[in-house]
This record gives sequence, C-alpha cells and structure tokens, in this order.
Amino acid sequence: MTGAVRAFLAAFGRSAEGTFRFVGGMSILAAHSVRALVTGRVALRDILDQGVEMGVGSLPLVLVTAVLSGIVTSQQGGYQFTSSIPLYVLGSVVTSSIILELGPVMTAFVIIGRVGARITAEIGTMQVSEQIDALLSLGRDPVSALAAPRLVAGTITMPLLVGIANTVGMFAGLVSARLTVGLGDEAFLYGARLFWHNWDLFYSLMKATVFGFIIPLVSTHMGFLTRGGAEGVGRSTTTSVVIMIISVLVLDALFPPLFLN
Amino acid sequence: MIEFKDVYKTFDVPVLAGVSLTVETGETLSIVGPSGTGKSVLLKTSIGLIVPDSGDVLIDGESVYSAGGQKLYEIRRKVGYVFQYAALFDSMTVFENVSMGLREGEADRLGKDEVVARVSRALDEVNLDPAIVLNKLPAELSGGMKKRVGLARAIVGEPQILLYDEPVTGLDPVNTATVDHLITEIAERRGVTSLVVTHDIEGALAISDRVALLDHGKLRFIGTPDEFRTSDEPLVKAFANRQAAAAAALKIMEEP
Repeated sequence: MTGAVRAFLAAFGRSAEGTFRFVGGMSILAAHSVRALVTGRVALRDILDQGVEMGVGSLPLVLVTAVLSGIVTSQQGGYQFTSSIPLYVLGSVVTSSIILELGPVMTAFVIIGRVGARITAEIGTMQVSEQIDALLSLGRDPVSALAAPRLVAGTITMPLLVGIANTVGMFAGLVSARLTVGLGDEAFLYGARLFWHNWDLFYSLMKATVFGFIIPLVSTHMGFLTRGGAEGVGRSTTTSVVIMIISVLVLDALFPPLFLN
Repeated sequence: MIEFKDVYKTFDVPVLAGVSLTVETGETLSIVGPSGTGKSVLLKTSIGLIVPDSGDVLIDGESVYSAGGQKLYEIRRKVGYVFQYAALFDSMTVFENVSMGLREGEADRLGKDEVVARVSRALDEVNLDPAIVLNKLPAELSGGMKKRVGLARAIVGEPQILLYDEPVTGLDPVNTATVDHLITEIAERRGVTSLVVTHDIEGALAISDRVALLDHGKLRFIGTPDEFRTSDEPLVKAFANRQAAAAAALKIMEEP
C-alpha cells in the first residue's frame, strides 16, 4: 500500500515537474520573442508571410465552420424554444453564443488543426534535420527567425478571423432562423439587440487575441523540443495539438469568471 | 585557433570524458573514431550547439561559454559549419540557402547583384555551376550536391575556421574524393583552420596535418598521419589497417 502511494506521489511529482518545466520554457520563449520584437530583430516580411498563411490560408475553413455553427445554433435554439418563450429571443441566443463562445473557440480549433500542427511539424523537422543548428551556426537567432514572426502574426490574425467568423456566423443564424423556424429578420435583430452588450464584442476579440498568442507559442515551443527523427516529429505534433486544445479550453473556462461579471 | 579544455559531456552515459585538444591556426586536424564515441558532440561544443557539463572551448582565445548575446554571435561568425546531412533549409532555394551564410543584414547592404556574385563565387569554388543550381530547391539536388551547397554556405561569409561533421558520409567514392579535395583546396587557398570529424580514415590521413583518435570520450592518439600509420597503439592499428580491424572485430565477436 505504501509502495503504491509512493509510486503515485512520484508519478504526480514527475508530472508536476514536467508541467512546470514546459510552462517555464514557454514563458522564456515568449519573453525572448518580445525582446526580439522590441529590439527590431524580427523581419516585417516574415510576419507578413506568416500572417497571410495563417489568415488568408485559413479563411475558407473558418468561414465554413462559422456558417455551420450559426446554422446549428439557430436550429437547435428554435427546436428548444416552444410556446412560453418568445421566438425572437433566438436572435439573442444565436448572437451571444457565436460572439461569446463559438466564434473564438471554433476558430481556435481550426487554427490549431491547420496552423498549429503545421508549425510544430515544420520546426520539429528543422530541429531533427539540424536546420536549427545551422541557423545558430550562421549566427542567426531561431527565436527571431521562427518563433517571433509566428507569435506576432497569430496575435494579429486571430482577432481578424474571429471578427469575420462572428459576423458570418450571426448572419448564417439569421438566415437559418428565417428558413427553418420562420423567424423574421426584424424579430431576430430585435431579439439580438434586446440583450446586446458592446462589452461582449470586446470580450470575444480579447479571447481571440489570447488564443492567437497561445497557439503559435505552444506549437513553436513543441517544435523546438522535438527530438528523434520522423517518429519524434509525429509524436511532438500530436502532443502539441493536445496541449493547444487543452490550453484553449482552460483559458476559455477562465474568461467568464474574470471578465463577465 | 580552437582550444578544447577538459570538456565533459554526459547524456544517458558519459560521451566526452575530459577532452583537451588544440587545433592550431591554419591547421587541418581530423578526429576519427568508432561510431557513437562523441566526435560530433565534441564538434558541436565548439560553437555552443551542445553545451558541455564542464570545461571550456576557446575560439581564437575567446571563451565560447563566457560569451553571450552579441559576443557569441561574433564568435560564431568566425566559424563555418558543414553539417553531416548538409542541413539546408528545405523551403529555400540554393541561392537563398547560400546567401544565409552572409552576415545578418549584409545581403540588404550589398544589394542583389553583389549577393548573387558572392553566392556564385562560393558555388564555383565547390565545383557547382551557379547557372544550373542557383534556383533549385534542396530536394532537387543529389546527396553530393547538397554537401557542396552546405560547404558553399559555410564559406560564403569568409570564416577563419571551418568545422566539418562527417563530410563524406553517404557519398560514393567519386564524390568522397571530390569533397576531400575541396577541403584541402579551401584550406590552402583561404588559409583557414579546419577541424574534420570523420570515420573515413583514408580520407582523414590524406587531407590532415594531424589526426586524433577519440574513443569512449577520451583522446587516445594525436599525431601526424605518418605517426598514425606507424603507431603501435592497438586501437590506432585497428583503424589504420583494415585487416587488423577485421581481425579485432572477429576477436570481439568470438569472445564469450
């Protein structure tokens, strides 16, 4: 029994140490990236390239996700609101759901799958094929060249994508409400205005900014930690996706108590 | 000049166990030894790509491990590093890869024409035709060409020291001879200090002023190629003489 307890505590200790080490490493990477940015060692061209890849490249998938989120929210809301609840409340439910939750979170999941995984695989491959060592040997700083442009691009691009996703999602919800539950556009907009808070929009974009920073931070850090050839790159990419999803969900859970009171 | 001072490094097992070695200015020194004895690790400690547990490395009298930030950058700029598998940047063309060997920001200052001229000269020096390879991606090159592009990238910034990590691994005999010839030619023409890590003993004896044998993290021999060939040290004999090596291998296999 004592042995089992000791083994459990040892495993817990190892896990805690690993978590602190990982978070510490990410904090150092974030600090180095900010320093590289402030001291002007990050090329604007690299930031623009990453921004276009993350933003323009992800737009089609973000749009599809936003449209479907709007349609599903609208239809399920319409299904639940029967007799005693006025149907125009659906306008508020759809807009609030999209702006407060679905817009930022669904867009974050798209970016994790499409951009975050690619960043880890790309930097991980550079790590195991000695390209990072080559950068260092040439007197270049991998943080300035690889991490900082992705962090800046993610932090700028994500709110823009979420802004578009929110708009498209709400519009899809409005159209879906008209076609499926027969709620007129004016009634939908009346409901949306009834419980509207400008703060919600800021809250949504704040979430997007935090997600846009944390996704490239985790993915670049995992890329730099990659060891062990092709298998290592695969393992690292999978772990990175898991950590990014958990990070987004945990941060998402922290937002309401911190900012919605 | 490169000075390794009592360098220790342990991963799961000790890899370097107190290596001290000086490579004189203008000298070509090759480190040979069995696979997995820490040759590449030793090379990587010379510019801080792997940090030793203890000991120090001095480049032209300046400690790599006391330097930080800009100083370490300046030390690294004195050194050109040729990687085992070339380590070319996959997403960049040959031109972009080689121009990365110039100082940071130098390409912008020089202008496109001068950068193309410098990159072309470096490619010429390693027997590659710039007109053919300049716009190719690394994936479109053969193994031997990749190695030579890696060499061009290392020399384009005109370093005083060249480090070669297994420069002929995976190459056919003709490409091996070409790369060995280039190492000698570049050392003579540019007067650079060269440190070569290799398991190709014949090539090492042909191109080097001195040869060192690393085994189990320690240097077992340092001397000229002639001294290496005539050494009585059993391990050196095994390396210098293929028949002796075969006999030693058989003995090891027959031991219970």
